[in-house]
Amino acid sequence: MHLFPIVEWNGLKFDLSAIFAILVSCVITFVVARLAVRNLSVENPSKMQNFMEWVAEFMHSTIASSMPVHKVRPYLALGMTLIMFIFISNLLGLPLLVVTDIHEPMEWLGITADYLNSHGGAAHMAWWKSPTADLSVTAGLALVVFVLVHYLGLKLNRKHYLHHYLHPYPVFLPVNIIETFAKPLTLALRLYANIYAGEVLISTILKIGYFGIPFMIAWQGFSIFVGAIQAFLFTVLTMVYISQATVHDDHEQVEHKH
Amino acid sequence: MDFHPTSTIITIISFIALYLALNKWAFGPLFGVMEKRRQLILEQMNTAESSRKQAEESLQEQKAALDQARKEAYGILEQARSTSSKQAEEIVQTAKNEADRLKDAALKDIESEKNKAIAALRTEVGGISVKIASKIIEKQVDEKSQEQLVDQYLKEVGSK
Repeated sequence: MHLFPIVEWNGLKFDLSAIFAILVSCVITFVVARLAVRNLSVENPSKMQNFMEWVAEFMHSTIASSMPVHKVRPYLALGMTLIMFIFISNLLGLPLLVVTDIHEPMEWLGITADYLNSHGGAAHMAWWKSPTADLSVTAGLALVVFVLVHYLGLKLNRKHYLHHYLHPYPVFLPVNIIETFAKPLTLALRLYANIYAGEVLISTILKIGYFGIPFMIAWQGFSIFVGAIQAFLFTVLTMVYISQATVHDDHEQVEHKH
Repeated sequence: MDFHPTSTIITIISFIALYLALNKWAFGPLFGVMEKRRQLILEQMNTAESSRKQAEESLQEQKAALDQARKEAYGILEQARSTSSKQAEEIVQTAKNEADRLKDAALKDIESEKNKAIAALRTEVGGISVKIASKIIEKQVDEKSQEQLVDQYLKEVGSK
């Protein structure tokens, strides 16, 4: 496997490739969105605007499937940001892999002489990956969702939100607390595992050499599909969690789905 | 794969920054435009609806006017018909009266002519009687020939 460039600064370790990937993802997402809304027009929308409006409509109907339609509006931008950012992040690791071979010990990157000696005098340094193929990144996203869900629950629906911890009987309190923490954990792990597995398989196929090309084509295509599905799933689940926490007629809730 | 809390924090910060930036510079304007279009379509639909209503109203009005005109025409026709039949009746009545009057006049004429004829006959019969008497006196005739004469004269009168 590749090494990732990790810099230690003031006792904190920074994973440069992850940080770089996050920033690139953010920039690409922002540029795409910005280009799409460059020439906004009410009566004569451009193709990009049509596409962006389609995304908005799609997101709107998706969110509306998990909560009453008149409550969708405040979460629409969040849903679009989530799905675009995660989808672009998922695709980021697919097309290319930037690897440098390092032969000298570089203490600031965490490459010690011992490591070089044990790996035949060369370290493969991967500078490029999907940010979502890193658990610490997906954990960040899940944490945002976690905080948001419970903040919204407390703010908009305090009584029912707090009561749901004792539902259906107070005995279930531990189970409900476990569920509360399991939700963001599964959110982070599901996304990370799917994308990481895709990237692992890509690097495995790369080892086969030229025979791997057909596999590579198939797997790249499938990874795009997986990336889209995971982005969609993450967004939908976020909306389901928000809806569970904020909408209090629980009887018409959409089932928690995986 | 190690877990780096720094990456997590950077993810959180950059995601929130991305969300705010997109909300401000991309989605905000996009939603604004979509809302504006929604308003525009709503407005156009309202306009279409009101113009449809207007058209329906004017159609109704025209229908009513047509009905009114038809009714009026029917009334006029009916009136004309009744007037003409009354006139015809009057004419017929007048004609009948005239005919009656003429008939009466003719009858009267006939009656008076008849009376005149009878009167004339009477005077003639008188004259003839006188003539017969004078002839009887003139000729001394027997009873038989007298009878023959009377018959002859009577026949003469009858043939007249």
